Amino acid sequence: MIRLEHVSKVYKTSTRPALEDVSVAVDKGEFVFLIGASGSGKSTFLRLLLREEVPTRGRVYVANFDVARMARRRVPRLRQSIGCVFQDFRLLNNKTVAENVAFALEVIGKPRNTIRKVVPEVLELVGLEGKSARMPHELSGGEQQRVAIARAFVNRPLMLLADEPTGNLDPDTSQDIMLLLERINRTGTTVIMATHDHSIVDSMRRRVVELDLGQVVRDDSRGVYGVGR
Amino acid sequence: MRASFVFSEVLTGLRRNVTMTVAMILTTMISLALLGGGLLVVRMIDKTQAVYEEEIDVNIYLTNDISANDETCSDDPCASLRTRLENDPAVEAVQYENRDQAFERFQQIFEAQPELLKLVRAESLPASFNVRLNQPDRPQVIVQSYSGAVGIESIVDESEFLQRLFNAFNGVRNLTFAIALVQAIAALLLISNTVQVSAFTRRTEVSIMRLVGATRWYTQLPFLLEAVVAGVVGAVLAIALLVAGKVWFLDSVLGGVFASGVLRPIDGLDILLVSPWLLLTSIGISAVTGYVTLRLYVRQ
Repeated sequence: MIRLEHVSKVYKTSTRPALEDVSVAVDKGEFVFLIGASGSGKSTFLRLLLREEVPTRGRVYVANFDVARMARRRVPRLRQSIGCVFQDFRLLNNKTVAENVAFALEVIGKPRNTIRKVVPEVLELVGLEGKSARMPHELSGGEQQRVAIARAFVNRPLMLLADEPTGNLDPDTSQDIMLLLERINRTGTTVIMATHDHSIVDSMRRRVVELDLGQVVRDDSRGVYGVGR
Repeated sequence: MRASFVFSEVLTGLRRNVTMTVAMILTTMISLALLGGGLLVVRMIDKTQAVYEEEIDVNIYLTNDISANDETCSDDPCASLRTRLENDPAVEAVQYENRDQAFERFQQIFEAQPELLKLVRAESLPASFNVRLNQPDRPQVIVQSYSGAVGIESIVDESEFLQRLFNAFNGVRNLTFAIALVQAIAALLLISNTVQVSAFTRRTEVSIMRLVGATRWYTQLPFLLEAVVAGVVGAVLAIALLVAGKVWFLDSVLGGVFASGVLRPIDGLDILLVSPWLLLTSIGISAVTGYVTLRLYVRQ
């Protein structure tokens, strides 16, 4: 599903590489935590998968895409197969919950009756049925993140990338969000989640890839956050 | 591509920075109105030129001796001159006008200015040949071959005067085009700026669109269309301005000149013919500017 081969990334403005000779493979349906201190390269890792960045060296494969070398006009196809969730939710404040989710389908040209059918379905999946007409500012942080997850998942992507999705949430709410991500993972969707949250990583007991100064220092199939330190 | 989606995005965008939109429309309008004005002047010159070219004659004025004594042009050198002209392959027709006829015509032309009529007596006007040419655009042939011939006082080529008139018009046209160009640069920069501001105010939408895999067309078409819509509105206003200018300025101020037939008037058809070009220019320029701006400033 995802394969990075000897990937290095050096930003023009920095002398130290953000990623250095990283090789990681993730199978379909896996749940992977990407951990490490700020500046360890987690975000760069995720951005490479989305082709927000291209690697300085090495190859990146996502699904059937040779990400680093693909034509620019095919990038939208790649991104349609990836859902994204962020710490700051990134909802459109002038649109309702349902409109926020529908937006993701509208802009890739899905027909209106499809949108009318799948938006309520996905809102039910994330537990927001009955709140579809609310505005984002009327919702709690956890609910807003659910909307964001619904938006990321509504097009049934092959994988879900979550960049610190619980970073702005309290522990209980975080736990709910993790249950939701687990549920999505059980549908066969690969989930990669970058996080700082020890307790979540420890309680889930999933694969952990740890980055430090741009290098993979650990890759445990059923890891915890703090081992070996 | 869902048209309703793009359309609503365009309207939101234009409403959201309405001051900028208005500025963009107004500069576009002025620039295009000037361009249109220039084009209309060109058309007027062309039409007037075409009319005059058909009617341009060469007048050969005869010496005082002939003017005073040969009323019917039956003696030499007048008669032989006439024969020579009539047999000239460059000449289509020759008409002799004696002193009395010239005076009569003079009185008609300056009917409205009795002071002038009092000053001029029949004796001060020469008899003349009015020569119509086969090729009206080549009066030099006649001027050269008849200058200095016996009995000829002077040869006047009407096209010289017209040329000076047209030069003046061409100057007006060039000036309008120059101002239009400066305005167009201002319009261009404003369009570019508006597109940037528009893209910036909607950066969250755009970033989400990119993330969920919207194509470049979907993310950028609304911005491009905003520029084009403003361009079209500007062009329509410019055309309205031209019509208004014709009705309230040209027709009332220059109405007399047109009526006298010295200049061909600009009519509705002229504006109708120029309008599509203004629209096309406006659409083309705003689309290209918008596109280039998006390429340069907005990340895909």
